[in-house]
Amino acid sequence: MARLQRARVQRTRIPHTSVQHTAVVSLVLASCLASSSAAFAESKKEYRFTVGPNAIISVDTQYGAISVKPGSGDQVLVTATLQSENVEVDQQQNGNRIEIASHLLQGANEQAGRVDYEVLIPPDATLNLHSSTGPLSAERLQGDLTLEGADAAVNVHDVENGRVHVRTMRGPITLTDIRNGHVEIASISGDIHLKSVTGPLVQASSGRGKIFYNGDFGSGGDYKFTTHAGDIEAVAPAEVSADFRAHSVLGRVHADFPLQAKHSRFPVEVGRSFIGTSGKASSAVVLRSFSGKIRLKQR
Amino acid sequence: MKCSEVERILSEVLDGASSGTFPTDVDAHVKSCPDCSDLASDLKLIASEARQLAASEEPAPRVWLRIAAELRAEGLIRDSSIIDSSTRDSEPAFARPVIVPVPVPASPGWRWSALWLAPVAAAVLAAGAYVIGHKPAPQVAKLQVPPPAVASPAQVTQAAPVPAAPQQVAKKSVAPAGGNVNGAGNGNETGPAVEAAVEAEASTEDQQFLSVVSTLGPSTRATYENQLKAVNADIRETQAYVDRNPQDVDARQHLMDAYQQKALLYQIALDRIQ
Repeated sequence: MARLQRARVQRTRIPHTSVQHTAVVSLVLASCLASSSAAFAESKKEYRFTVGPNAIISVDTQYGAISVKPGSGDQVLVTATLQSENVEVDQQQNGNRIEIASHLLQGANEQAGRVDYEVLIPPDATLNLHSSTGPLSAERLQGDLTLEGADAAVNVHDVENGRVHVRTMRGPITLTDIRNGHVEIASISGDIHLKSVTGPLVQASSGRGKIFYNGDFGSGGDYKFTTHAGDIEAVAPAEVSADFRAHSVLGRVHADFPLQAKHSRFPVEVGRSFIGTSGKASSAVVLRSFSGKIRLKQR
Repeated sequence: MKCSEVERILSEVLDGASSGTFPTDVDAHVKSCPDCSDLASDLKLIASEARQLAASEEPAPRVWLRIAAELRAEGLIRDSSIIDSSTRDSEPAFARPVIVPVPVPASPGWRWSALWLAPVAAAVLAAGAYVIGHKPAPQVAKLQVPPPAVASPAQVTQAAPVPAAPQQVAKKSVAPAGGNVNGAGNGNETGPAVEAAVEAEASTEDQQFLSVVSTLGPSTRATYENQLKAVNADIRETQAYVDRNPQDVDARQHLMDAYQQKALLYQIALDRIQ
């Protein structure tokens, strides 16, 4: 009797097992189909251009990442990865000027309209990048750079002797190892991180984002950091050579830094502002906020 | 054939095609692409209307030359001789201007509907500059505040609708340095009524801005709406402080910065819509 019951149980289990197998097979097939269709949809395109010195290169995409690095000699190499057939790449060369742009076709959304670009350019080229979603990155270049994007995270690394202009709505901005740069950064609510950024002009402003600076403020530069509600924190070595002026209209201001008092036409309100000098004061540093906190720290 | 190629040559094709038919490759693309089909229809309509117009009232040649010079100066057109030297011989009098190709938006209509954002963004800055320049308390004068960037209130109101600068526009009608107050009405319209009216206008501008941004999708609209609220709140907060402390030069600079933030928001939106 017990054997009979076991046999019945086994019989009733058989359909269960087969259903499971069918489900597994279906899932595998479905995932294979999905991945193959995705692989079919994604495509790579390469564009090569030959340019002269100081070429101007613009890359503009609504959705997608743009990464730019130095290439070899006078060649511009653009590798575009298109996520679907609902987007195409327009490219145009007029003499020394190259324009690359994603062109959304009907039905393209953020996924289908995405194009990721990897670009190799001559190091001295002027570069204009635009992507709403980003991220945007540029490294080891010496020409003028403009990077713009609403939500795009922006990273610029190891750049010298050029203008670096960055603009975002809420995308965070990180600049590292910028030497002798003319730097202008504006964001509405994105945080701004500057590490080892020096030059004759370094200007950063964010409405509600924070600004962090870690570096020695170079020599002979104007540094202006402004926020409305975001905090500002600057960290510098003890041997920094700069004039400092900090003022927050409604926020607190604090300097963990041995500054020499200095006569100034600006009134000093304890806890809201400080003015002082370190070293030979070769650079001028102005930190301003409406309601954010400002802090100057020694490294 | 790509949309960009079709758009680049469409106007020239239409100019040359007296029969109104396109070459085969262009025709095939136009038939399959709704955007290009719309564009071709629009251009055909414009061309036919223009022909009728030309037949009825042809402006003097100098009018065309002035328009062409303006467009050339703005980079919207260039001479065909620059683009294709082979056609130069066929244009004996002067090179005919050709529309400069521009990056093609997803929907051409968006670009036109969003063009108002550019002057509005500029107007935000102008309003900010006006605020800085037209809050002259006696102490401020001693601090040598720069003169107003905007010459007169009339100019401010004529340039473009000015969002979120209600109190300044209202107060400029009574400001001693304001000069001509025509822009704010007859000079008697001060106080809460005018402030409310201008605030309503600013709100309308913001609504218009958001409706344009809505074309990018509901989540994008929500993002821009939040950013706009934040920027407007910053402007209001700073304005209130400046009203209480008109001698605070730094606070006034922050007010200008807040207006710049709003202008930046408009510019970023415009870039995205284009």
